[in-house]
Amino acid sequence: MVQPVLYPPTQLSPAAALALSQQAPSILRSSPSTVSSSPFSALFAGSEKPELWLQYENLILSCLRTGDEQAARQCLQRLVARFGEDNERVQALRGLVKEAEAKNNSDLEGVLKEYDQILSDNDTNIPIVKRRIALLRSMGRISDATSALVQLLEFSPTDAEAWSELSDTYLSQGLYPQAIYAMEEVLVLAPNAWNIHARLGELQYMAATAPGVTQGGYQKYMAEAIKRFSRSIELCDDYLRGYYGLKLVSKKLLSDGAKATKLPEDSEFSFPDTNTIERLNELATAKLAEIVRHSTAHDRGWRGYNEAEIAAAQELLSEDESASSAIKR
Amino acid sequence: MAQVPVQTIHRDPQLFYWILFPITIVMILTGVLRHYATVLMASAPKKLDRKTMREQRALLHGINVRGNYHVLSKPSFTARRDALITAYESGAYLKDPDARGQPPPNPMSDPSAMEGMMGMMKNQMAMIIPNTLIMSWVNAFFSGYVIMKLPFPLTVKFKSMLQAGVATKDMDPRWMSSISWYFLCIFGLQSVFNFLLGSDNAANQMAQQMTQMGPQAGQMFGPGIDPNKQFLAEAENLAVIEHHSVLDGVEQRLLEAVKV
Repeated sequence: MVQPVLYPPTQLSPAAALALSQQAPSILRSSPSTVSSSPFSALFAGSEKPELWLQYENLILSCLRTGDEQAARQCLQRLVARFGEDNERVQALRGLVKEAEAKNNSDLEGVLKEYDQILSDNDTNIPIVKRRIALLRSMGRISDATSALVQLLEFSPTDAEAWSELSDTYLSQGLYPQAIYAMEEVLVLAPNAWNIHARLGELQYMAATAPGVTQGGYQKYMAEAIKRFSRSIELCDDYLRGYYGLKLVSKKLLSDGAKATKLPEDSEFSFPDTNTIERLNELATAKLAEIVRHSTAHDRGWRGYNEAEIAAAQELLSEDESASSAIKR
Repeated sequence: MAQVPVQTIHRDPQLFYWILFPITIVMILTGVLRHYATVLMASAPKKLDRKTMREQRALLHGINVRGNYHVLSKPSFTARRDALITAYESGAYLKDPDARGQPPPNPMSDPSAMEGMMGMMKNQMAMIIPNTLIMSWVNAFFSGYVIMKLPFPLTVKFKSMLQAGVATKDMDPRWMSSISWYFLCIFGLQSVFNFLLGSDNAANQMAQQMTQMGPQAGQMFGPGIDPNKQFLAEAENLAVIEHHSVLDGVEQRLLEAVKV
């Protein structure tokens, strides 16, 4: 069992982050603040482990989330003492702490100026570039953030994190084709990431159901969405988001009827026939019901699903039931 | 044939304390010293400037697209391929587009390449100097007599290895001279260093020689390689791909694989 302090902190629920930051004083007390590099102490105390510094980094993030800036400062001091002021990651973390402590917009502008200053000395400082983009985005300057992201990806096109952030930025502006393109780049870098496959399916579904989409575009997006969701389930058994999307898309296609499943000649993917869509819909419904049943009963081996996602799946299933009972009546 | 009588040689028990023990201690200490000397002498990895990073990552991007094209649908793959091939062939990603077509510069004149070679030289020196010193020390003080008997039988082939410095024809190969003990220490102390210094230590020269013989990972962007040629080769690789998608028929596969 991995300690919670070593988990990626962005995946912690708010409650877990709060619990972690409440443990911060005891963690800070029990871990060494520096590691001596002399050979004799290394013989007796054990050598330096990367986990120690990862732990401090995660603790900073959790403490900032829960407003414990004092503990965050303490962790940061230890990281600075170990890696020096000029380390790229440490610079980014210090910027993060400053952003969290900023009281108003002019403070944030000051932090942004510091980032620009650092970048004018060293324009390949990727952690700082990313912090600057995140700050621009949280200040509401979306178009600046987008252009900074595009610049970053121009000289570092193998950065999956930046591509997925770009996709999210485009999505927030409603630019679906651009968001899909960026998400496809993430897939090129991580071809077997089932969550990215499902996310791409979600983007296609959103693009298909967006207002103002043409009939041909609608069919193209829907045909790829159903395939993306299927692929994500193929890569990860019992993947809730995959089944949810599969059910959503297949239900929509079935309600459209047979007329919509004809595709223009030049398209890449053809729709599966109605029979297959029906079977996919049945499969997704059955699997969703199974996941919801096991998960709400807290069965062994079925834990770890996100509660909000389970609730959404339940809602989707109950919608389905009420619709079918209405038809019977 | 008559049984060969077991050879017995009366040795002073003090040999153990005054020869075996000192040689071992000295070998361990030099290993530790060499580790710290290498750590001190190591130069920080050089920072890439923006244009070099762009050149290298653009090439990696193309390799990724070539390797994972199956996750894309055909139109999006074709769009990427066309864009990449055009950019590669026009040299858009090159660090200095003016140097296209010219022969690559002599790697000896490139300062960054020289630095890498200096690092290698330093490591070699840190190995050779202490080894020469210790070997001459062992030779000067402890050569010419056997110091111990191995507890297991060996064939005659080992004679030259174990009895270096003792020129007797008929002696059982189980008898060992001090210079042989020194060689055994060179080869056998790796686990001791792992215990003392951690597994990525620089104490044992054998491990370093192994890595030097292995395939060199950094060779792709090494000095003396023309990036323009790499780009052109990659463009060709991309051009010959026959596209198929992992999404073809995925619904059928899913329905067959997953049973409720």
